[in-house]
Amino acid sequence: MSLDATTHVPLAAAERAPARAPASAAPKKRAPRTSSFGYRFLRSRTALAGGFGLAIVAGAAIFADQIFPGDPLDMVARPFIWPFTTWAHPLGTDMLGRDLLVGLVHASRVSLAVGLTAAGLAVFVGVLFGALSGYFGGWVDQVLTRITEVFQTMPPLVFVVVVVAILTPSVSSIILGIAVTSWPQISRLVRAETLRLRDAEFVQAARVMGMGHARIILAHILPNAISPVVVAGSILVASAILTEAALSFLGLGDPNLISWGSMIGSGREVLRTAWYMTALPGIAISFTVMALNLLGNGLNDVLNPRVSLT
Amino acid sequence: MARFGITLPEGRVLRYLGLRVVQVVPTILAIVVLNFFFLRLAPGDLAEVIAGEAGSATPEYMAMLRQQFGLDEPLLIQFVKYMTQLFQLNLGYSFRNSMPVLDLILSRAPNTALLMLSSLTLAVLLGILFGAVSAQWQGRWPDGVLSAFSTVGFATPLFWVGLMLIVLFSVELRWLPAGGMRDLQRDYQGLAAVADIARHMVLPVFSLAFFYIAIYTRLTRSAMLEVQELDYVRTARAKGIAPLPIAVRHVLRNALLPLVTMTGLQLGTLLSGSVVIETVFAWPGMGRLAFDAVFQRDLNLLLGVLFFSSFLVIVSNLVTDLVYALLDPRIDIR
Amino acid sequence: MTLPPFASTFASLAVSRRSLLAGAGASLLLPATARFAAAQEAKAGPGGTPKAGGTLVAVLDPEPEGLVAGITISAPAVAVSSSIFDGLVEYDEGFKLRPSLARSWEVSPDGTVITFRLRDDVTWHDGKPFTSADVQYSLLEVTKKTHPRGNAVFANLIAVETPDAHTAVLRFSRASPVVWAAFNGTETQILPRHLYEGTNPLTNPWNGKPVGTGAFVFKEWLKGERIVLERNPNYWDKGRPYLDRIVFRIIRDPASRAAALETGEAQYIPLNPVPLADVARLKGSQDIKVETRGFEGPAPMYFFDFNLRREPFGDIRVRQAFAHALNRQALADTVFYGLAKPATGPVPSYQTQFYTPDVPQFEYSLAKAEALLDAAGLTKGPDGVRLRIDHIPSAYGDDYRRAGEYFKQALKRIGIEVTLRNYDLPTYVKVVFTDYDFDTHSAWYSAYPDPQIGVQRRYWSQAIKKGTPSSNASGIADPEIDAVIEKIQTEGDVEARNALIRELQRLAQVKLPSVNLLELTFFRAYSAELSGIDLAPFGGYQSLKTVWLGA
Repeated sequence: MSLDATTHVPLAAAERAPARAPASAAPKKRAPRTSSFGYRFLRSRTALAGGFGLAIVAGAAIFADQIFPGDPLDMVARPFIWPFTTWAHPLGTDMLGRDLLVGLVHASRVSLAVGLTAAGLAVFVGVLFGALSGYFGGWVDQVLTRITEVFQTMPPLVFVVVVVAILTPSVSSIILGIAVTSWPQISRLVRAETLRLRDAEFVQAARVMGMGHARIILAHILPNAISPVVVAGSILVASAILTEAALSFLGLGDPNLISWGSMIGSGREVLRTAWYMTALPGIAISFTVMALNLLGNGLNDVLNPRVSLT
Repeated sequence: MARFGITLPEGRVLRYLGLRVVQVVPTILAIVVLNFFFLRLAPGDLAEVIAGEAGSATPEYMAMLRQQFGLDEPLLIQFVKYMTQLFQLNLGYSFRNSMPVLDLILSRAPNTALLMLSSLTLAVLLGILFGAVSAQWQGRWPDGVLSAFSTVGFATPLFWVGLMLIVLFSVELRWLPAGGMRDLQRDYQGLAAVADIARHMVLPVFSLAFFYIAIYTRLTRSAMLEVQELDYVRTARAKGIAPLPIAVRHVLRNALLPLVTMTGLQLGTLLSGSVVIETVFAWPGMGRLAFDAVFQRDLNLLLGVLFFSSFLVIVSNLVTDLVYALLDPRIDIR
Repeated sequence: MTLPPFASTFASLAVSRRSLLAGAGASLLLPATARFAAAQEAKAGPGGTPKAGGTLVAVLDPEPEGLVAGITISAPAVAVSSSIFDGLVEYDEGFKLRPSLARSWEVSPDGTVITFRLRDDVTWHDGKPFTSADVQYSLLEVTKKTHPRGNAVFANLIAVETPDAHTAVLRFSRASPVVWAAFNGTETQILPRHLYEGTNPLTNPWNGKPVGTGAFVFKEWLKGERIVLERNPNYWDKGRPYLDRIVFRIIRDPASRAAALETGEAQYIPLNPVPLADVARLKGSQDIKVETRGFEGPAPMYFFDFNLRREPFGDIRVRQAFAHALNRQALADTVFYGLAKPATGPVPSYQTQFYTPDVPQFEYSLAKAEALLDAAGLTKGPDGVRLRIDHIPSAYGDDYRRAGEYFKQALKRIGIEVTLRNYDLPTYVKVVFTDYDFDTHSAWYSAYPDPQIGVQRRYWSQAIKKGTPSSNASGIADPEIDAVIEKIQTEGDVEARNALIRELQRLAQVKLPSVNLLELTFFRAYSAELSGIDLAPFGGYQSLKTVWLGA
């Protein structure tokens, strides 16, 4: 959630970003992490656990209509039924008598969609800017870096709020707002990777062979730069889901679609009398975000055991 | 942010600073210009907010308000006026708060700084401790427990943590105040006032730290694991130095470098505050100021906050680069 | 039971009240119901003798823009300002006028001249004497020019004469009974001429550090955190106020407001104190009281507007179908947690002098609703949907958004698919009242003590004022309704005027430009340590001069 002003730094990125410094300070001969089989096993178990958790959420999202047909926003029962008190509504009902279990399952769709779309958009723009900037260098780099800097310098949550306020709250404005504030992270990452790769032998060879810039970037540079992006992207999905929840808490959710964030948004007023209404979607969010983080960290180790970003 | 390939320190600090300033001024200008026009895309204006809060108004009243706020002038004139003010370092007037923007910001910034710096310090200290313990017992139960703790902290919505802490510690146990910054019924002075503020800080600081601890724990853990494998640490170990002194003197000290970077990066954004925590704990800080400014269409104030926080981000990035270079002269600021 | 010291004030009122009742406009305000009698008793009752001293912490949300309610009329501004400033008169629990800065008043037989005799023992907080010149300046230069409603209510006020320092003579171009609903200190305040004259009242720096005549003196305003007032030792109402100090805190989150009250960090929340869902829980608490009286003046009425500029809302059958499809009792019980009751028309039932239940009603019946829609040619498509519309709920709080969710699901049952559009306040004002870009819209307006201030703005064609919040948004412009409204404005005879107001209620239900849904119940929450809470119809906004700590 509150990838509030201060915190738009995904964990994996946080972990890696500074790692570059010691790397250049004292170049290592070996990759210590990969040396131990046990360690690698452990880490892949992390990725596995994350992937498994995410599969559950994705399954709920895909099959929501099969599991619980009908409109999740329907007022089907008495309001304020506590969880585990009746079989008809195992997780209870909210203040308007909407079934919470049905809501949770259906909400996974919007929450995941918000996370994936926002992260996807951010990755797209970030890769574009980062690759161009790193590959061409010079004034292109200067200009694009300045633009990136402008967006990165504004306090993220405040900026998301501004975007959503201007476009009026809806799922698409929320997605756009999150994407607009998170692409610079990807851009910096890709720029650094591209800088590292553009002078690599295979890229130079391609250049000598007369390959065009676009092809070099698409065929040679990006595929080699993609793994840190995948990692950062998976964490962006998590942070987007948290940001959506924070926006809903602040009263900026989309009222027409049910998401975990909007469930928290409507439950926050009754927090003192019926805390389960915010706790249940809160747990769903924590679960998903944890799964995504585990997956991201696992992927980080599996894909680039020695990444150094910058 | 882009860094230039200048080697420090060899009297080049000044040149480096000069270059950065040259780069930074356009960035700040771009932020102000962009936002000036961008914010005006928002539907409705301050006159509508004030009329809406009053519950009714006559059209003449609305026109009078707009004239007072300068909203009746053509956009470009408004822009020129604003920029002229800005070049005189005047951030303008907040009509919604009936106060100069700079005064408002300066009255809130210390509150936010107090809250955020305390949280960050707590998070860094605990993060280092947890990270060091995790690295030391890598793969065993302390590592597992602390990893789980930090993962949960990072994945739990902040407002939920805050509200639950209030329910538990304020409403049920009555140990700590539920919000605000001071006890307004008793007018504490001197040391008692400091203690009073400290009591009000406990819950928001812990809520925020709970979130940050994850970052620093993991950072410390991975940095320590990495440094542990370095030659000089191996040498020390081979010399038969006990594990704890090694951990503290060699490993931890070197692992601190990435922490400095991270902290520096976060410091800059800190003053824009945490909207969510300030909302939950009624903390009179910058985050809430900015948030309310958005919904009250208090554009002068919002622009002022954005300008101020951009400035701080840039300054703190700069300082981080310099500190970094000073800490480790081998490093090229790149 | 000990009589509070202010009982004598009531006794001394007899004369002036008689002269008031002689006037044309005055008797508009007479709804002494049993409920108010009970209020009166409660006031003098269980608290015992007032105790002096102590600091009261009250909670506000949001932070006001200025502290002079004569200029900034937002609810939180009024809640603070009424303790700093006085009006010429106040209301008592029975909606009757009682003296404040004016000791007494007379109205000329034709209703065009009102003479106020002012107190001569009042000084401003800066020591300057209060005189009729302040009244003249405030009414003509502030209320008529910068008050958002003032120039409408006082449209017929042409002059204020000051024959001596303690007499103010108001001359009207014609009888304006409605002004009697606006002389109280929460609506029309008297400001210090010596600090305002020659300035633009809207930007006068004294708006942020007000100097009034009221029970409390402004001390400090730390933006975003607190507003501090201190006891006025020279207050004209001797013995009052009781509190030494009032600190208003700004707390934006409703759950956090509830927590502040429960932990004893705050003792009084006058407006929008806690989420509706918490009321039942707080009512059960020994330490906290919830008071629903004291909002009969603002009289919040909740309704569902159609945009008559758009089809199919021009068809009365469609509007009637909506009226039949919305279960008002269920709405009151679920969304408003019982803190509301179904409305029968645009005037609240507790304004007994105006109210009539004898108007067309639309009972909850999905069958009737569907039949009416079918008759209007809106038949269901293969997907079960017969109409797709949008709905904009009021931006004044989460309850109204939740009501929007309720409408969405309720209307779905008769094949109407609703897209909700939740907006922040400025967007809401712009979209609904400037752009008229909506199909349907729900909100509450204050009915105010007189329908001419509160109700007519929903139904009068002249109240279609682009860009003006809480004006006629549906776009209803009906000659029959207009004729009745215009007669209400000029009718000097009270009974004849009340009959016209009853006719307006009937027409509102017959023409149905909007569905009258609920009479909302606003409430205050405060600590059981507090006594002397003012239960007058504007009690939620009124001065804290009667309040004392330590029951």
